[in-house]
Amino acid sequence: MSVPVLAVSGLSVAYPAALGWLHALEDVSFEVGAGRALGIVGESGSGKSTTALAVLGLLAPEARIERGEALFQGASLFSLPDAERRALRGNRISIVFQDPFGSLNPAIPVGRQIAEPLVLHKGLPEVEAAEEVRRLLAEVGIANPQEIALAYPHQLSGGMKQRALIATALACKPDLLVLDEPTTALDVTIEAQILDLLEQLRRDRGLSMLYITHNLGVVSRICDDVCVLYAGRVVETGSAESLLRRPRHPYTKGLLASLPRVRERKHRLAPIPGRFPDLSAPPPGCIFHPRCHFAIERCASETQVLAAGVRCWRAEELADAAWQAPAETVPDARNTPDTSARALVEVSRLSKTFQLGGLFDGMRLDFSGGFPLKFEAPRVQAVDGVSLSVAPGEVLGLVGESGCGKSTLGRMLIGLIEPSGGSIGIDGGTPRQSARSAQIIFQNPDSSLNPRKTVEAIVGRPLALHGLASGDKLRERVVELLETVRLSSAYLQRYPHQLSGGEKQRVGIARALATSPKFIVCDEVVSALDVSVQAYVLNVLADLRDRLSVAYLFISHDLSVIAHIADRVAVMYRGAIVEEGPVDAVLRPPWHPYTEALLSAIPDLERGAGVQRIRLRGDAVEQGAQGRGCRFQHRCPRKLGAICETETPPVVRAGPGHTIACHIPIEAKAA
Amino acid sequence: MRWPASLVAGSGTFAVIAACALLGPAIAPFPFDEMNIMARFLPPGATHWFGTDEFGRDVLSRLLFGARLSLLMGLGATLFCLLAGVPLGLAAGYYGGRVDEAIMRLIDLVISVPPILMGILILSMTPPNPWKTAIAVGIIYVPIMVRLTRAVTLEIASEEFVLAARARGERAWYILGAEILPNAWPPIIVESALRITFAIMLGAALSFLGLGVHPPASDWGLMIAEARPFIAEAPWVAIAPGVVLCITVIAVNLIGDGLREILDPRLKRGRG
Repeated sequence: MSVPVLAVSGLSVAYPAALGWLHALEDVSFEVGAGRALGIVGESGSGKSTTALAVLGLLAPEARIERGEALFQGASLFSLPDAERRALRGNRISIVFQDPFGSLNPAIPVGRQIAEPLVLHKGLPEVEAAEEVRRLLAEVGIANPQEIALAYPHQLSGGMKQRALIATALACKPDLLVLDEPTTALDVTIEAQILDLLEQLRRDRGLSMLYITHNLGVVSRICDDVCVLYAGRVVETGSAESLLRRPRHPYTKGLLASLPRVRERKHRLAPIPGRFPDLSAPPPGCIFHPRCHFAIERCASETQVLAAGVRCWRAEELADAAWQAPAETVPDARNTPDTSARALVEVSRLSKTFQLGGLFDGMRLDFSGGFPLKFEAPRVQAVDGVSLSVAPGEVLGLVGESGCGKSTLGRMLIGLIEPSGGSIGIDGGTPRQSARSAQIIFQNPDSSLNPRKTVEAIVGRPLALHGLASGDKLRERVVELLETVRLSSAYLQRYPHQLSGGEKQRVGIARALATSPKFIVCDEVVSALDVSVQAYVLNVLADLRDRLSVAYLFISHDLSVIAHIADRVAVMYRGAIVEEGPVDAVLRPPWHPYTEALLSAIPDLERGAGVQRIRLRGDAVEQGAQGRGCRFQHRCPRKLGAICETETPPVVRAGPGHTIACHIPIEAKAA
Repeated sequence: MRWPASLVAGSGTFAVIAACALLGPAIAPFPFDEMNIMARFLPPGATHWFGTDEFGRDVLSRLLFGARLSLLMGLGATLFCLLAGVPLGLAAGYYGGRVDEAIMRLIDLVISVPPILMGILILSMTPPNPWKTAIAVGIIYVPIMVRLTRAVTLEIASEEFVLAARARGERAWYILGAEILPNAWPPIIVESALRITFAIMLGAALSFLGLGVHPPASDWGLMIAEARPFIAEAPWVAIAPGVVLCITVIAVNLIGDGLREILDPRLKRGRG
């Protein structure tokens, strides 16, 4: 094998902490071969971004590289003087960051920003650079490069911005492209487009890539090799194919067991128990042993070196052992939802129109007649005539991309947003009357708990408010609620900043449960969490569903999470439900073209499985106002023709309880 | 619980200043208005520790006498500013829409009048009196407090814990007082500490125009203003009240920092 493009060996990086040093990276080694893609996988805090920054020489000034070496095409990076490192950066090594929304300067046209490295590193004159920019934009799949080069970042959608950033990174024909979670902030259909683009670029240009992500599905699509990081240590490395199919390190096994999957639905996931170690005082021996149920005595005292790609004493004997769910998660028998009974939540023709802007945004001068000053505020139809119902104890999954109106719908159901039309019945009352029986759990664990209150105050408040308990009873009940979400009473006096993300989310669940609601809106409750934590929270939610017969409206952009927990699914696109039915029926044909696209966009672990890849054009947000016809017509890969543009598609019954709003005949879709 | 060092130092210093304000007339070596034409512009020395001013009055005595009025001006104006500004800012930020529009336009109206003119407007209607000056200064600074509180409230009101409170049917006063306000305090406290200085100075400007403290009565701000023309020949007359003002501001800021630390559980040490 030739010299690797990038070879990192024994890299250790530490940040100063309150007490001593925080060892973010410890003895990290990996290689990116010429023309190969290496995926660095890890949860938050695993040090994957620190790795990228160290390679690029962009570490924060207080960070200290303690040991180790990084060779770029055989030459040491760390011993280079600053000027030479700068000459490499953006030139022979370039990077694409996670957040396309914050990575472009809003005051400079896109084309000029892409041209910057060309002018800086290659010394191209402006005119030639502009020419090259148009060529690059075309290469990253932008249909009208001329126009886009002159546009400002706010005029571009997220996907387009990320394409523009990839074009910037490619401008100087780099030998190594570092991608730090490039698709995490994007919708799943856009993510699929970007991944396709990256695959194609690799083929065409023979690029070497260092791909940093938390998403194992993405790794399986893009990468040849994988390096799994945990708490700043490489725990396993190997080819993507074998590592994902036959993981050898317990942590990798755990990660894979924590993943909900569309095609392989399990009753309960097997999460990794415990919490992330404190890196300023790491446990002795194997860093993972406190959370590993395979751990033996030796694990707590001696650290295994990375032998044959895996850092585990028991790798050999455990080759075939599967990650086990901790004993406490053995599922209870489930009370099946009573679908024959009267629906608990009944929503009919619900809509919501938001008025945009202030008083003066809507003012127009119009002399066509009447009073010349007209007032017409710009509006946006967030939810448009949605009807649905949820039976007691049932889980209805609501899936859709950002901006489709799913959160607005969820918030209307619990009375946080006043609907503009239609009706909502919850347990026989309006949302306002049923504050006790309908509750909500939010997405962001950092924002959903008041930082100034203790866990006891947070969980106890709904009880006190509704006069459900007081005095000693109150504390008793709070402890009981915490136990329901598997938190001990030791948490009572803690403040939110002392909890981990998953613990915060569980406190949020306990708070929602305090009034013993019959219906809970779960608004993206697991999307901000790491995989292993997500699995744990999903299990808690599943337990509650089974034991307390709580019904959920489970809102998510992630179809695999929905498929895991829901009984029925509703697929939402631009304010309306395009398909609804039992999970099994929605996940296989016949389906709505949008559902099909969502499914095929999921970067799946099982390569080439099942669904044929179809791709959507453009983004959901970029078209103008809702006109006539089908709302999906602009992006539909199976558009029939004129009928889709003029007539609203009929809602067709495709099976028991399964409806699809589409012009394409059911028989044709089933094929 | 351990008190933060900044709070201890701040309140200690402030206690000394407050004691001076209370005991000032009793411990001052000279009457504040005793003039001595022969002893004009004496530099600091054994008899006059901080020197004398253009009428030969003892600067130290005037400082001690002036403390009471100056603190009244600074603290009173800031307190008024807080009492009026914070609730308005909370309401504007939380309710939004028309309430916000109404409050903010009213605030624009107050801002559009220059501060001194505003002070003259408020004070010229009735006979001037130091506490009226304090309130006038408070009114002038209300817009700043409203805007700050509103900005902080807007940010906090979109947090999910506020939505959760609404979802469980909390009343608006609970959400504003128990969920939003505790999180909005830090910037408000910092701003208030700063306001006290500005209030003392603006109060002095109004006094200078005859709308507050009347000469020969003494006030730190007024002392600085009166000493301005003679700053080259007798800098100590301006420096002494300036330094005292500085020390007061630093003390108040330290108290603010300490309060922030006590109020914010994230900054608490030795727990959990």
